[in-house]
Amino acid sequence: MQWTLQYEETWLHRLNPAFKLVFFLSLFLTLLFVHNPNVMSNLTFVPFILVLFATGHRRIVIALLLIPFLLLFFSSASSMMFFGQGSTTWWRWGIVHITEESFFRGLHIGFRALNFALLGLLFALTTRPVFLFYSLIQQLKVPPRFAYSFMAAVRILPVMVEEFQQLRAALLIRGVKKKKGLRRVTQSIMLYAVPLLSQSIRRAHRIAVAMEAKQFNNKERTYYYKQTFSKVDIYFVLYIIAGFCLSYWIGYTFPYFEITDVRN
Amino acid sequence: MKVGVSNLRVKYAGAKTLLFNNLSLQVEEGEKVLFLGPSGCGKSTLLQILSGLIPNAVPVPMKADQVKTPESSGVVFQDPDSQFCMPYVDEEMAFVLENRAIPQPEMKKLICLYLHKVGLSFSDPHVEISSLSQGMKQRLAIASMLALEPDVIFLDEPTALLDPEGTTEVWNTIKQINEKQTMIIVEHKIDEVIHFVDRIVLFDSKGKMIADADPKSVFSFYKPKLKEYGIWYPGVWDEHRKENNLPAPYVKGQQLMVINQLQGYRGKTPKIEVSDAIAHEGEWIVVTGKNGAGKSSFLLSLMNVMKTTGTKSVRGQLKTIKASREQLAFVFQNPEFQFITNSVYDELAYSLEMMDDRNVAEKVKNWLEAYDLHHVQNLHPYQLSTGQKRRLSVGTSLFGDQPVLLLDEPTFGQDASNTFKLLDLFEQLRSKGMLIIMVTHDEMVVQNYATREWVIHEGKLIEDRKLERREEEERYAVDSTI
Amino acid sequence: MKRLKLSDILITIVIALVFGIIYKLWGPVYAILKPFGLHVGDVIYGMWFIAGTVAILLLRKPGVALLAETAAASGEFLVGSEYGLSVLLYGIVQGLGTELMFALFGYKRYTAFVAALGGIAAAVGSLVMDAAYGYVMDLALWNLLLLIGARLLGGFLIAGILAYFLVEALEKTGVTTLIRPASDEDYKALDQ
Repeated sequence: MQWTLQYEETWLHRLNPAFKLVFFLSLFLTLLFVHNPNVMSNLTFVPFILVLFATGHRRIVIALLLIPFLLLFFSSASSMMFFGQGSTTWWRWGIVHITEESFFRGLHIGFRALNFALLGLLFALTTRPVFLFYSLIQQLKVPPRFAYSFMAAVRILPVMVEEFQQLRAALLIRGVKKKKGLRRVTQSIMLYAVPLLSQSIRRAHRIAVAMEAKQFNNKERTYYYKQTFSKVDIYFVLYIIAGFCLSYWIGYTFPYFEITDVRN
Repeated sequence: MKVGVSNLRVKYAGAKTLLFNNLSLQVEEGEKVLFLGPSGCGKSTLLQILSGLIPNAVPVPMKADQVKTPESSGVVFQDPDSQFCMPYVDEEMAFVLENRAIPQPEMKKLICLYLHKVGLSFSDPHVEISSLSQGMKQRLAIASMLALEPDVIFLDEPTALLDPEGTTEVWNTIKQINEKQTMIIVEHKIDEVIHFVDRIVLFDSKGKMIADADPKSVFSFYKPKLKEYGIWYPGVWDEHRKENNLPAPYVKGQQLMVINQLQGYRGKTPKIEVSDAIAHEGEWIVVTGKNGAGKSSFLLSLMNVMKTTGTKSVRGQLKTIKASREQLAFVFQNPEFQFITNSVYDELAYSLEMMDDRNVAEKVKNWLEAYDLHHVQNLHPYQLSTGQKRRLSVGTSLFGDQPVLLLDEPTFGQDASNTFKLLDLFEQLRSKGMLIIMVTHDEMVVQNYATREWVIHEGKLIEDRKLERREEEERYAVDSTI
Repeated sequence: MKRLKLSDILITIVIALVFGIIYKLWGPVYAILKPFGLHVGDVIYGMWFIAGTVAILLLRKPGVALLAETAAASGEFLVGSEYGLSVLLYGIVQGLGTELMFALFGYKRYTAFVAALGGIAAAVGSLVMDAAYGYVMDLALWNLLLLIGARLLGGFLIAGILAYFLVEALEKTGVTTLIRPASDEDYKALDQ
């Protein structure tokens, strides 16, 4: 989310936000029907190229954001690799049973998870929440009460982060007797969650009252930002279609793996 | 009649008694009325009822024979950080214009117009609200309220959470609004308002109206009440000092705290630097400077909550949080964050147990008495009034007989009687030899109580000056502007 | 049906966004636990359902659980979740699970029992999504059962019981008087 990150605006920022959301969701669903690991691994490059070169954010920021993605790749792939069903056994050690089928299925799942992650990051890095919510009202007819509540809530997130730091310092200074084992987990959840949530609830209530005092209601309203469609929306669709075609063509012409369908 | 109620009764959920038993009140076109009373007397509730917010936006059980609300109300609330729903100045102003269904092409011009009215002139109003000072935020709140073109303006303690500078800034802005504008104001700090309103309505703690007259008469007949209710009226400081014969003389004590080449970091950025400083027993040092100068970071560095380099010592080096906690009592700006149990009693007992004290029951009892908290000892700390919360947070931090008390704006947002209770307590501790280090924006605290001032500017301690407390004869020259 | 007021919606979303950030931070924790296989780590998966239960226990109005869980997922997504858009769909289905349980009791009971059922229902929702997401059925049977067991237990413990106690602790602070409607007795007291 971009309230503090410095970035340059790129063509991806000019996509219609609601369209971007719907289009990304349909991409997500489409990926569920790709079962060829060769194609899936190629498809990962489609969003990856955009994340690397077209978000307008600094490289270092992107590199930092990508670290958890590696972890995700391995953790998504591992369960299936170690414990999946399959007939061609490669390795067995106690309960761990790696088969050819489960290995490639695991790899496939890893790539797909990576693909989702990159698409999500691409969206988050190139969309200003305020524009997204205006667009949701204008293009998808989301009721303004919900959209404006979202914008108000997003606005107070940095305040909450600051409060969290203050709370941490206060608890350190006060000194807390740490309980043992599982009770320590619940203890720290309560110590942090109760003050932060009760502050946030009271603040949210005050903001809601202030919004109503500004005559925010269900009457007709006009909009400061008009969200429209433009040529970049078409370019983006073309890029994705081209990416898909290329991934399929390479995947079938120069396969890296022998398996072409990871389902049993 | 512009706005009014007759025979109003209100019942808050869980409250034992009714608020306002058959209250009637009328405000005429063009009047400027100030509601005064102790905290919790219902003046803000009344303001919200007259503006129509209660019960439409906030459902509070109420009954009245008649409620007359204006065609359109504009309300400004007290908290600068919970009045806006959008991140940028122009977007927030646009939100109001959108609500009024103003055509989009006219918005830019109107936004600048209203901002200009409150003296906020940006070359481009697409400025992050979070980058504004608290005073500027309140002026933005006024601008967005004016953008409603309201019939009646309601101001619900608009300066309660501002420093003196911001308070003046906001009242100057309000005074420039149209002279014929009807206004209803709730405010505790009345120095600036008093010459501006035509009428004062005074309530007692149960919401009963005890006076309704012009400012001059209210002042001459009800001054003891104003004092009892903790209202900041002109001259209240001098009266307090005169009656309590404060402060006690300052005698320089033993050297207590030594700071050498102290630097505090947030991450890798240095936030505060103090090359060397020495403080003594019985000193009252105020730490002053602009917002964000590094005053709080200074206190946090002393506590070792921030990463630090250099040395600091009080009866030995302070290298860990634990070592600091045993020598320095720390009172946070937001008292709620210091509470970790579910009742006032447990809060105090907890601190004692942390110090391995054996006479818990007896000591807690003494504290509850001393801090005037015994009648609320079973309440959850969050349910206390702001004054009680503050006293409890001082109590919980002072339990270990530490020789130094660190305070981060302890009187901020407190009413007059709570402020004096606190200051008198600190003064009492100081006269027994405690070293007090207090971050504050309040010039009156600096003038009346401090013995020394440390000025922090852009992360550095740049000035260390001795202060003379005000002289006897000056003390009795009570300001009598009213 | 009690319609959601602006303050109900705003409070729900604010709470949800707090949890949304926790959800995001929970991702790496889960990812580290997961490769040790066996799906025991799935017990902590229950954290991802907690927004729905907490919000509806606090506000006690229809629709709140679904809104909260969806908003929390959107928050997680907007801060750049490594699960990308999938969290949005998961959030909706999980929220629906919790919502249905409270609906089953006519939105009249807000007890630890119903909260626990709500947490378990959300876990079921997440398993349904997993099945649609693919290949879960291709796990060895013992492993699949372990996954289901751990997931449901997590839903019960974290999104059910822990959520209930969290709300109880919040009630003690008195903040709930702000958000729950006044009782009939309060209205009656006005006529005396």
